[in-house]
Amino acid sequence: MIPERFSYLAPSGPEEAVAALAAAGGSARILSGGTWLVPDMGRSAVRPTAVIDLRAAGLDLVEPVGERLRVGAACSYADLLASPALADKAPLLLKMAAGITGGRQIRVQGTIGGSACAARPSSDAPTALLGQGGEALIIGPGTERRLPLEDFFVGAERTALAADEMLTGFDLELHPGASWGYHKLKHSAGSWPIATAAARISTAEDGACSAAGLVLGGVGERPVRVDVATVLVGQPLEEGLLREAAELASSAVPEPYRDELASGEYRQAVAAPVALRALRDALLAGGVSAP
Amino acid sequence: MNVDRGANEVELTIELNGRSRRAPIDPRALLIEALRDAFGATGAKIGCLNGDCGACTVMVDGQIVKSCLELAISAEGAAVRTIEGISGNGGLTPIQQAFWDLQGFQCGFCLSGMLFSAEDLLARNPNPTEAEIREAISGNLCRCTGYQHIVDAIAAVSRDDS
Repeated sequence: MIPERFSYLAPSGPEEAVAALAAAGGSARILSGGTWLVPDMGRSAVRPTAVIDLRAAGLDLVEPVGERLRVGAACSYADLLASPALADKAPLLLKMAAGITGGRQIRVQGTIGGSACAARPSSDAPTALLGQGGEALIIGPGTERRLPLEDFFVGAERTALAADEMLTGFDLELHPGASWGYHKLKHSAGSWPIATAAARISTAEDGACSAAGLVLGGVGERPVRVDVATVLVGQPLEEGLLREAAELASSAVPEPYRDELASGEYRQAVAAPVALRALRDALLAGGVSAP
Repeated sequence: MNVDRGANEVELTIELNGRSRRAPIDPRALLIEALRDAFGATGAKIGCLNGDCGACTVMVDGQIVKSCLELAISAEGAAVRTIEGISGNGGLTPIQQAFWDLQGFQCGFCLSGMLFSAEDLLARNPNPTEAEIREAISGNLCRCTGYQHIVDAIAAVSRDDS
């Protein structure tokens, strides 16, 4: 039983949700999947006076919008896994969703927007979202804004959302023709990732790398881009080059995050190997022969 | 359903194991608590209350969920299946029979959750590999650590169906 009392509202759209958020004057919380909020309320780690449940708010759609893919904030990982548009256009999110820790139940319950707003350093979604690239779609009372994902994640468990704003979804870049890799280091099936990496590689007809990107998560308080393109672009992709690119990850986070699972030194030490595995995974995914 | 902060009690209506049921609940109740205390369905267990152990796993609108992570009031109007209703005819389902035959449970605390995860897997993938079976029960902890017999039981059902 949750100790504190709260009002409960399941609005039929985001505008109604934002109005309820404003009415509560900063003491309300948005409920998406509940995998963080509900147990946090159970131990009084958070004590909202109002809970605004997005289950009926219509924010669980995946749809192509122009050159981008719009993903609703309340899409569960199971929604992502079931989306043909996602499988076709954003395989990185598919890889991420398929590997979410906690079993099928958490894939059914947890949502990509909820994980983004929780902004836990070790979570998969922030790394994959920044790896995909694009914008967070945010509404407030009478306001609407788009924020590059780089600027959405501010620190450990901190986002750029103001108290009267909510995330409605993401407009994600697609990078047609790119191959995607994802790797996470965790020490048992049920434990938290310690470091995560999302990699993107495009190759030209002659086999040389034409574009590349890498995002490293878990090592810092927020996901960071590692500029692997400076090493990879224009070069034929082979193991030595991938190693050289991955090595950039070891110095990407000057002050690493630490928690009970791993020290900062450990996280920094595993950054390059995790990045390398994500780059190799991207090469394999693209059908390019592995080095 | 919208609930006022001052409310001590609300009426929750769910379809529980195929029957429409209505009961008063505290609006702060978790779904697992409402199922056990208000509706008497005590087969689903409370373990960690943190979404880790999976002992509270039930099916809501056809999908397996950890019912300690759901507010009961969020389930208004939902179709909920618990272990009490897992078999339509009062006997054992093929998965339950396989758990029985192969000693797929020891103390039984994780059993109802394991059965739902097994059923969910086999509905989506009738012939899973051992790795797929282990992945499918990765959200369910067996405190007796009896995983091998659980995996054997699920594998046996998939063989029977093929």
